[in-house]
Amino acid sequence: MMILKMKKEDLSTFLDSIREWGELWGPVKKGDKCTYAKVDSLSQMDLKATRTIIPPKKFLYPPRFTMFDYDEEGYVERLGDVPKRILFGIHPCDLHGVLIMDKLFLEKYNDPYYRERREKTLFLGHSCIPDDKCMCFATNTDFIAEGFDLFFTDLKMFYLVWVGSTKGHDLVRMRPELFSRELDKNDILNYTEYRKWKNAQFKAQVDFTGMPDIFELAYTSPIWDQLAEKCLSCGQCSMVCPTCNCYNVTDEVELGALEGTRDRFWDSCMFREYSLVAGGSNFRDKRADRLRLWYTHKLQAFIGEFGKPACVGCGRCVSTCPVDINVVTVSNALKELEVGK
Amino acid sequence: MTRHSPKIGVYGFTGCAGDQLMILNCEDQLVDLFGATEIRSFVMAKSDNHEGELDVAFIEGSISTEEQLKRLKEIRERSKVMIAIGTCACHGGPQSMKLGENKFDEMYKKVYGNAKIAISKAFEAQPIDAFVKVDMYIPGCPIDKAEFLGAVTKLVAGRHPYLLKAPVCLECRWKENPCILYSGKFCGGPLTKAGCGAICPSMNLPCVGCWGPTDDLNASSEYNLLKEKGYRSEEIIQKMKKFGGAKMAKLVAEFDKKEAKA
Repeated sequence: MMILKMKKEDLSTFLDSIREWGELWGPVKKGDKCTYAKVDSLSQMDLKATRTIIPPKKFLYPPRFTMFDYDEEGYVERLGDVPKRILFGIHPCDLHGVLIMDKLFLEKYNDPYYRERREKTLFLGHSCIPDDKCMCFATNTDFIAEGFDLFFTDLKMFYLVWVGSTKGHDLVRMRPELFSRELDKNDILNYTEYRKWKNAQFKAQVDFTGMPDIFELAYTSPIWDQLAEKCLSCGQCSMVCPTCNCYNVTDEVELGALEGTRDRFWDSCMFREYSLVAGGSNFRDKRADRLRLWYTHKLQAFIGEFGKPACVGCGRCVSTCPVDINVVTVSNALKELEVGK
Repeated sequence: MTRHSPKIGVYGFTGCAGDQLMILNCEDQLVDLFGATEIRSFVMAKSDNHEGELDVAFIEGSISTEEQLKRLKEIRERSKVMIAIGTCACHGGPQSMKLGENKFDEMYKKVYGNAKIAISKAFEAQPIDAFVKVDMYIPGCPIDKAEFLGAVTKLVAGRHPYLLKAPVCLECRWKENPCILYSGKFCGGPLTKAGCGAICPSMNLPCVGCWGPTDDLNASSEYNLLKEKGYRSEEIIQKMKKFGGAKMAKLVAEFDKKEAKA
């Protein structure tokens, strides 16, 4: 790890230079929301946007993609067509989300499709302005020390730039004159001030302390049935969650030929079909059971297995669920024994 | 391929014939489709039709006359597998939007007055599964080429076809559209089967539900939500029933009971 300093006005030049490495992607406006899109320059990006509709998991693991083509002879994996991408403007919560995905797809089980995309994607983080839905302070994901290649903290006149990998360092070396290693007392003061300012921005009323115990205590709570009356089973929560990673696999067959593709697409345990097994039996037929599984997995079971929650506090469930079921309302309902309006 | 070509029939009842047209619109695959199957009867596509034993009968349209009902039952008897294609055959379609309201006689009179109708006795349009066993449903208004061809291809290969059962929201989120329902406006997405690729919300138009109700929907929750947002009860029900057919008529009848209780 190394921290460098860059003048704000040099960012545009830097991003133009590194496009030589690969496609540049960043947050851009979509209606009153925001999405990561391919851009030509910094001017197209909206760095003030708090969160994109879909987290950056879409780059490592697209909503729907073909894993391989097959015929009578065997199969050929589709790995070569993955482009090299630089993602700029990724916030700490989303980088924490990527670290969780890495645990699931790179450690115990090596997923070649994920690995290929991960290795061809550079993450250039950027500091953020929390809004009333951000709760990374409650999940300890408001700052990040690993998982990025470069991280830019906006200190008004300057950027402090964390170099997090050798690939990140290679980018810096493309334009070394834009970076300085001369950091002084004022930089420390400015950075400390920034952290204080950021900590003071959070407005969400949420506290996940003791959640594993509360989930255990509330296992048979009627709260789950009350929430299930509201849940639309639309599955949007899973699509927008940076740590939801379940998928379905289908074979597509060519008409009149013995060849086809094996495809993979995002699925959700909120759908009844997800827990349907051969013979027509369904072990989570009730909507309440599916809701309980989702939230227990995020805020209890994941902690048991990996030592931290599978919630990075990004607030996407809060800004997506039409009937207001999200980590805040669910954890509060379990503690207060009533479903809020 | 040495597997025998399945004998297929394609039939249309009360509907716009758009699903049959969509089959013929699969131009790039049409030669393969006619090659891989033995199309015994398909009035829209050819004049040389033979009625007899079928492996698969594709049925478009809802059933609204005694004559159609007799014909449907007769096709069912000689078909190993019956597949409903299009929202009218699967759920009833727009012509079934008043199901459960007991308004058929009134509507019939308004349209035909006292005129003598030459066809057999008409009744309120219903999906085909109100009368016969249906083995598979491919809804859509019209059906999606890829879903239809995917299903046919798998049937020909002796495999089990797979269609998305999730609601439109799944594909809508994949397309990264801002959620219309979250913004407080009506959207049929959570109630409607996916497969269309969320075309309407991708153009910033609410889903009207033209693929019919999905397997596992929570219509009463969406109804309550929209009432909170200021929609009138009749307006919500009208929107939900537009393509909701028999299934939605049943669900909507339950809202009234719940409201009466409250």
